[in-house]
Amino acid sequence: MKKIFAFLSLLVVASMLLTACGGTTSSAFKVGQVTDLGGIDDKSFNASAWLGVENAQKELGVTGKYLESQGQSDYAKNIQQFLDEDTNLIVTVGFLLGVDTAKAALANPETKFAIVDYAYPDCWPGAAVGKDCGSDKEIANVLGLTFQTDQAAFLAGYLAAGMTKTGKVATYGGLNIPTVTIFMKGFEAGVKYYNQQKGTNVEVLGWNTAAADGVFAGNFESTDDGRSLAESFVQEGADIILPVAGPVGLGSAAVCKETGNCLVIGVDADWYETAAEYKDVVLTSVLKKINVAVYDAVKRAKDGTFKGGVATYTIKDGGVDIAPYHDFDSKVSAELKAEVEAAKKALIDGSLTVDGVLAK
Amino acid sequence: MKTKTSFTRSRLIPGIVIIVTGLLIFLLFAINTQPQVTSRFGMNISASSEAIQIPDLVVPAQTGIYVLALVTVFFGAWQMARGIRSTGALIGIVAFSFVASFLIWATQGKSFNMVGMLSSSLVRATPIALAALCGVISERAAVVNIGIEGTMLLSAQAAVISATVSHNLYVGLVVAILTGGLVAAFHAFMVIRFKVNQIVSGVAINIFATGATSFISSRYLEKHTDLFNNSGTFPIISIPLLSKIPILGPVLFENSLVVYLTMLLVVVLQVVLFYTPWGLRTRAVGEHPKAADTLGIDVFFVRYVNVIIGGMIAGLGGAYFTIGSVGRFDEVMTAGKGFIGLAAMIFGKWNPVGAFTSSLIFGFTDSLQVKMQILGTPIPSEFLLMAPYIVTMIVLTGIVGRAMPPAADGEPYEKQ
Repeated sequence: MKKIFAFLSLLVVASMLLTACGGTTSSAFKVGQVTDLGGIDDKSFNASAWLGVENAQKELGVTGKYLESQGQSDYAKNIQQFLDEDTNLIVTVGFLLGVDTAKAALANPETKFAIVDYAYPDCWPGAAVGKDCGSDKEIANVLGLTFQTDQAAFLAGYLAAGMTKTGKVATYGGLNIPTVTIFMKGFEAGVKYYNQQKGTNVEVLGWNTAAADGVFAGNFESTDDGRSLAESFVQEGADIILPVAGPVGLGSAAVCKETGNCLVIGVDADWYETAAEYKDVVLTSVLKKINVAVYDAVKRAKDGTFKGGVATYTIKDGGVDIAPYHDFDSKVSAELKAEVEAAKKALIDGSLTVDGVLAK
Repeated sequence: MKTKTSFTRSRLIPGIVIIVTGLLIFLLFAINTQPQVTSRFGMNISASSEAIQIPDLVVPAQTGIYVLALVTVFFGAWQMARGIRSTGALIGIVAFSFVASFLIWATQGKSFNMVGMLSSSLVRATPIALAALCGVISERAAVVNIGIEGTMLLSAQAAVISATVSHNLYVGLVVAILTGGLVAAFHAFMVIRFKVNQIVSGVAINIFATGATSFISSRYLEKHTDLFNNSGTFPIISIPLLSKIPILGPVLFENSLVVYLTMLLVVVLQVVLFYTPWGLRTRAVGEHPKAADTLGIDVFFVRYVNVIIGGMIAGLGGAYFTIGSVGRFDEVMTAGKGFIGLAAMIFGKWNPVGAFTSSLIFGFTDSLQVKMQILGTPIPSEFLLMAPYIVTMIVLTGIVGRAMPPAADGEPYEKQ
């Protein structure tokens, strides 16, 4: 009887150890990354942030370590663990860690924090500080890393509108949160701009900026949901899909590859490389170079130029972009390529804006 | 005299409910629908389907809803005046009118693929149904298995790895089923031999499964995708002739192996549980193990076998997620379907057909809400995402009523 309990508790302890595997610690400059629920290998923003830390390990000689969050209650716990280990810079990944990061940063002003996809102040009128939102003013030891991903998604939308054979393209998100919907909004704007330029009537399924609502899987985990959403979009006549839901999108890529009825546009990283098994159906990817931003943050923290506030990465500085066409290079007409390039230039010099197109 | 009044009342109240539903249809949908607008329902899943292509169903939206509202009110009045014998028929008529008017209202001026939605309902119900069947078969023998989620997760990963390594999906299927059986055997051993609390053992399995699969995934699967995590999926098998039937063909007879196996399992388990000696023994062990023991039934043996068979069914459910659906494993990809399965088991009254029906209702609402999201109805997506859970609860608590678990459910048996 006792033995069995010992065995069971061993299992529990073992599983906890297994979930919390990371790098090694030493007395060097320590960087700790706390993931959100997607996990370190989500082939999306957690993975991209970790790539930034890994590059910093190689080039700046820091030591990096990550802790994965399995549930919402893990966010604060994992941050605390890094604080206990005297970590110099704590990188938290994602919108969902916004409140816990602010709490920890305010309580530990000596430790530097960088949060991906978030910035302070984040409170709206009537929100409870420390519950609904993190802080109503800037926090001196937190650097928010934000991305104008709508600019890159705009180009993807333009490209998709030019490539669709059915006249319908689709997008869906994981949850209706700003860092997800910014992609969908840019995508819709890109399609709209194409229609304005060409007098066509390409339809976007799955997002409507005016209604601020669209299609959501409700999670960032269930690849099976990604499959069923893609099937549903194809039934409704769409042939190009932009899934903004981390690994859920890989389910869509899988069904596109299996049936040959659709193409996907990757998000965050270049799926042609990170999800190479689906490269035949990856038209392009909306790149959000979180690794570059995280690397920058580590560098600033290490050489003492770290300052709290917001660092926004745009298409101008290359922080967001669309990936090369790879296998589709020969299928995208030279004319369309030139138009996408022209739109990119216009976005860079500011003569074209996402909101401007949507307002028209 | 007294019997007469209660008889009238028993006609009156349902009648009023039906008439109110009819008025609701009118108020919610009919007056919010544009005149001269049609709703188009796709009746072909795709052009490449085996089924004979039939024309789409085009309904004039406002007229359609008026008709449905009137029909509902008419049936309400009839119920009040004469009484309709079959409760099932009554509920069917009301539910159909309400859902149909809702669909016409949501689709006005647009179109959506009806058969696609129905087909997806069955597929979405499959993993939930398998989890529910696993629950039914073990709880009928009085062993609660809350570790179904973890069992499915472990099986899903085992399936994709073995199928990728062996380049054979059937190997993956067998390995998944065996993995499920093994995990369940562990659970059975803990709770039958050592009388460990059944919930604790189940939770331990879930925690272990999440940790272990995530660890293997990040250490091996993500780094060597082509070696371990790219299995492909079971192809769609069209049943000859039957798949040519419009509507029914694509929904029921153009599916993958796991879906067919699920439908088969529902029938087999229903028969085994209620029409065979083994089923009788199982139920006896679940209701009154001491009596069963007195009659010479080996309580422990029955429990072991049922729990392990249940685990194998959950293993098949796990296989659905990887080799049956997307051909890859991702961390915690079962996303709570095991727990939803347990709920389906309860709503289905610990009965295979009931559990399958609950899963279907869930799958139907789930596919419906996806289509509603795509159509861009004024209903917020957050609310639509809750709909499957809410509708399943309302339908099943409202219609099925009180569900009684097997009397000895969750209790260890002490031989005297």
